[in-house]
Amino acid sequence: MAKKNVEELTYKEASTELELIIRNLESGELELEESLESYTRGVELLRSLRTRLEDAEQKVSVLMKDVDGSDVLVAGEAADTSDELKF
Amino acid sequence: MPGWNLTGAAPAVSRTVSGDDALSVSQAVEMAAGALDALPQLTVLGEVTGFRGPNARSGHCYFQIKDDSCAVDCIIWRGSYAKRTFELRDGMQVQFTGNFNLYKATGRMSFVARSFTLAGEGLLRQQVAALAEKLRREGLMDDARKRRIPVFCTRVAVVTSLSGAVIDDVKRTLRRRNPLVELICVGSKVQGEGAPEELIEGLARAAAIEPAPDCILLVRGGGSFEDLMTFNDEALARAVAECPVPVVTGIGHEPDTSICDMVSDRRCSTPTAAAESVAPAMSDLVDVLEARERRLVVSVSGTVRSAASALDGQQGRMGRAMQARLDRLSIALDAAAHRPCLASPAGMFERRRSDLMQTADRFTAAVARSQERFEVELAGMAPRLSQTTSALAARRHALDLFTSRMAHEGRTLLAGRKADLAADAAALDALSPLKVLARGYSITYGPSGVVTSASGVAAGDDIRVRLADGDVYAQVESVTVQTGAEAQND
Repeated sequence: MAKKNVEELTYKEASTELELIIRNLESGELELEESLESYTRGVELLRSLRTRLEDAEQKVSVLMKDVDGSDVLVAGEAADTSDELKF
Repeated sequence: MPGWNLTGAAPAVSRTVSGDDALSVSQAVEMAAGALDALPQLTVLGEVTGFRGPNARSGHCYFQIKDDSCAVDCIIWRGSYAKRTFELRDGMQVQFTGNFNLYKATGRMSFVARSFTLAGEGLLRQQVAALAEKLRREGLMDDARKRRIPVFCTRVAVVTSLSGAVIDDVKRTLRRRNPLVELICVGSKVQGEGAPEELIEGLARAAAIEPAPDCILLVRGGGSFEDLMTFNDEALARAVAECPVPVVTGIGHEPDTSICDMVSDRRCSTPTAAAESVAPAMSDLVDVLEARERRLVVSVSGTVRSAASALDGQQGRMGRAMQARLDRLSIALDAAAHRPCLASPAGMFERRRSDLMQTADRFTAAVARSQERFEVELAGMAPRLSQTTSALAARRHALDLFTSRMAHEGRTLLAGRKADLAADAAALDALSPLKVLARGYSITYGPSGVVTSASGVAAGDDIRVRLADGDVYAQVESVTVQTGAEAQND
């Protein structure tokens, strides 16, 4: 199992690894040491994922044409939540 | 009479053509009919209304065509209607080509259409339907070629107008639903001249972003049919189908359906619905996480519990096995300890000693008894022995007697025979040739034995002459044979 630092994983990668860990644990085929190790990793992933959910901020960027014609990503404005008007 | 004057125009007409100038209805209608017939063939664009299909009996179609301010009856004869390329429906914009005609019996004017074609939006819709069918035949709309959109797209490109409300709608929807989704906005015209080309370029630019987005949202707000025609563009539809990144469309409002919708990997009815479809709501993610946490805890505690119970079981088995082993050993030890050799080692020797003493006593007693018995037997035997030998004296005497008699008899027998033998020996001695030789006679042996005649030898023969005390060996020199007389004289 890849032992990348949890914070370096994307939400999806972390989520996928967590699901994998749980399935492994549920299969009941792991050695006790392995399952405890997996559990520790799982809890770590879980904590990180939960934090990310709580702290999530929308990230918006705009694909713009640079002066030389190549595409560049420019940070854009996130949606304005104070505006409750629907279009 | 004013009471008859039902229309403002009628009294004026009746005033100008009055009296003898008045025409019959037939004449008037005839004139009108002639005027209508004089009109050339016309092509009229109008909206179909009141169309109820061809008449059940005649097969002709009677309906009306209208525009914003006028309407006219329209007739399509059965033969013309049979050549149609599409079904007429109310509301259709259709171009009818034909002539006006006045039905004299009722004075009603109608436009008799000889042919008709779709026009305006109707024509567009027909063209769109044809394009859709063409693309469908090519397989661009097959479910099999539609790619799966990830349940949770974390990186999403939005291709739409950056100035409209739609982009804000998408941003707001995803911010509320799932702020983890990273949005990349790619601006493009969405209607009017050049819009399809810009959208195609926008799709290509969005697909080329590094790292690639999980999907592309191709969205546009509601609009008229013509406004949405951009999304029925064949080149754009092909670009959507061939886009390397899965495309989710949300164009217009339900029930608008564009060809882009048909060829996209997922079709949503509105931009908002499209945005919602690319990622699960945060609350769902929280639920998923909670469920996973429960599963994690349940499975690991299950593992630990089962390991612990397995351990308990093993401990119990080990304890029982050990106890059983100890019990067996203990019993064996007790049994060993109770064996006499260990319980009273001296007793063993005592028993052996007493056995030995008994044996010794029995042995002594047995020896003494045998000795006594032999002594008694010996004492009994001596008299029997002497009794047996007393008969021997008489036998010995008789034997002595026989012996002396035998010797006497023998001597007597031998004396006679000895005397006879001596006499015979003396006689034999007297007759022996050797006695003759002793008196000077000899015996001559020639080559062929004893020579008894002088002719028995020849001169030169070797001869042996036997004398009483030895032999003479000689050679014959000569032989002389004597006659009888001479021989007597020798």
